[in-house]
Amino acid sequence: MNYYSIIKSAWDDALEYFLQDFNIYGTLENESGIDYEIIDPSNVKLISYNKPKPAVPLKIFFLPVKENVSRIHKYDKKTIIIGSPNCDVVGLNILDEIYLDRDYVDPFYKERRENTIIIATDCHSINEHCHCYSYGVNPYGGENSDISVSVIDGEVFLMVYTKKGEDLINRMPPSQTFKILDESSISLIKKKHTEVISLIRTKYKALPDYIQTGNLIRNSGEDIWKKYAVTCVSCGSCATICPTCTCFLLLDKPGFEKVKQLDACQYPGFERVAGGEDPLRKKFVRFRNRYLCKYVWKPEKFKSIACTGCGRCIETCIGKISKNELFMELANIN
Amino acid sequence: MNMQTERNIFKPLKANLIKVIEESPLIKTFVLVPEEEFEFKTGQFIEVTVDGIGESPFTPSSSPLETKQLEVTVMKTGYVTDYMHSMRPGEVMAIRGPFGRGYAVDKFYDKEILILGGGCGFAPIRSLLYNLKAISDKLRKVTFCYGSKTPEDCIYKPYISELRQTPKFEVYRSVDKADETWTESVGVVTVLLDEVKMDIRNSVAVVCGPPVMMKFGTYKLLEMGYPEEDIYLSMEKNMSCGLGKCGHCMMGKYFVCKDGPVFTYNEIKDQPNIWN
Repeated sequence: MNYYSIIKSAWDDALEYFLQDFNIYGTLENESGIDYEIIDPSNVKLISYNKPKPAVPLKIFFLPVKENVSRIHKYDKKTIIIGSPNCDVVGLNILDEIYLDRDYVDPFYKERRENTIIIATDCHSINEHCHCYSYGVNPYGGENSDISVSVIDGEVFLMVYTKKGEDLINRMPPSQTFKILDESSISLIKKKHTEVISLIRTKYKALPDYIQTGNLIRNSGEDIWKKYAVTCVSCGSCATICPTCTCFLLLDKPGFEKVKQLDACQYPGFERVAGGEDPLRKKFVRFRNRYLCKYVWKPEKFKSIACTGCGRCIETCIGKISKNELFMELANIN
Repeated sequence: MNMQTERNIFKPLKANLIKVIEESPLIKTFVLVPEEEFEFKTGQFIEVTVDGIGESPFTPSSSPLETKQLEVTVMKTGYVTDYMHSMRPGEVMAIRGPFGRGYAVDKFYDKEILILGGGCGFAPIRSLLYNLKAISDKLRKVTFCYGSKTPEDCIYKPYISELRQTPKFEVYRSVDKADETWTESVGVVTVLLDEVKMDIRNSVAVVCGPPVMMKFGTYKLLEMGYPEEDIYLSMEKNMSCGLGKCGHCMMGKYFVCKDGPVFTYNEIKDQPNIWN
């Protein structure tokens, strides 16, 4: 890993220069929050750093809502995504395990992953439901990204983790010069990290960690799920907005074409077979299924965690269901 | 990476429908010739595409030793199978696969094999029986118990006659509701298990059929003394992608499409919803 710094205006110029060869998506702030937008010379300076968290997770760049998977297409330009929080970047790990599984590599996913450079940003604050650290995910960029950035007092601090990241830095126009970071700057960045961790720790003291949550769910009865599922309308927003939910439906189009469309186990009929059997017929069973999947079954099967604590499922739920309240109640019952 | 040569795991292989065999009022066998030779292991399944209509999972009912053509036996049950039943020779379907883990046939060597099948569950079993016949010198005996609703619903009648003439193979059949022509057992398929004589310590059991039959069949086998790890179940879930990705066939920690569809009972007994 290499540390660099550059003044903000020079960094903006560098990104503008990269626009010649890359599509860039960056996080921009608007009246309702932060979200990814296409970056062009007019808004490159407005990219928002160090704030949690974009409205949509990073997965949308790798698993489009709908795509025709009949033919493999090539992209003429590579992509840079800038401003992703670490919860979303870590969320890609389980997607990689599923979609780059050696037995069946999804060529569409692989192509996008290989042609995308992820520039994460450290979170210097938290949103209402951010609880990454309670599940062991740091609120700052790490080696799952190619580069992570922190902007402090007009200076951009870059931590470069991968060859892809280093190659990008080497493509900088010669007029833009990086400084190698000194110890005092590194400790300044680390101080920010500690501050945010402490915010999350204090706020989510009572929240069981990822493994404890799995145990609580495994041993839970039906009552608590029935209680919390009362206001669930099976809209599937929780799964749609989740950085680690990846289920999809294959649709058929004439000409033996296949269209892959994101799906959610919250929708009725998700597991129904032609003969009529449907293990997820009841709403509370569907509701519970998503948490069993994330905290019990996926951990038995995969190395990567299946909830990174971004809290979007709580923010998006129109039934106002908070999984964290549910888990704290489960912890209290036990 | 050269994306042009990357294999597209979603792309099906076209297959010509050359023959349709009516097995029962609700069940037909479709004989397909894929555009390329196609290999599978018995118990593995394929996804069959009906153009523009949809895709459904079936375990081939033909011999895994045959690579030029394959057969799927399909009960008219839903949207895709309804359409399939209207298709005629000369039309084109497409297939993807083979997917998943089939029967561990090499573990059956020197054993007596008890096979319990119900309804259209005979389809995967016929493929297995073809395979077992080819290696019958390595097996002690194969006992097949088959149940269907009525005599009319019994499928593969010519094959049953052939099997009854095959050394080391024996067939028992039952129907839920008999008519005047029926001379074999009457009752749910598990009644046949009271008739068979197996050396259970040197035996494995295979079950394939509708969920309720799988459930009670398994319980009966356990009662007879079959160890959990010697009961092979061919599970049916909503297998869609076949690749262990789409999530529709999750049964607890397993993707049935990739980790199964054949499991031993001890592998899945602690997972949720195995019988529905």
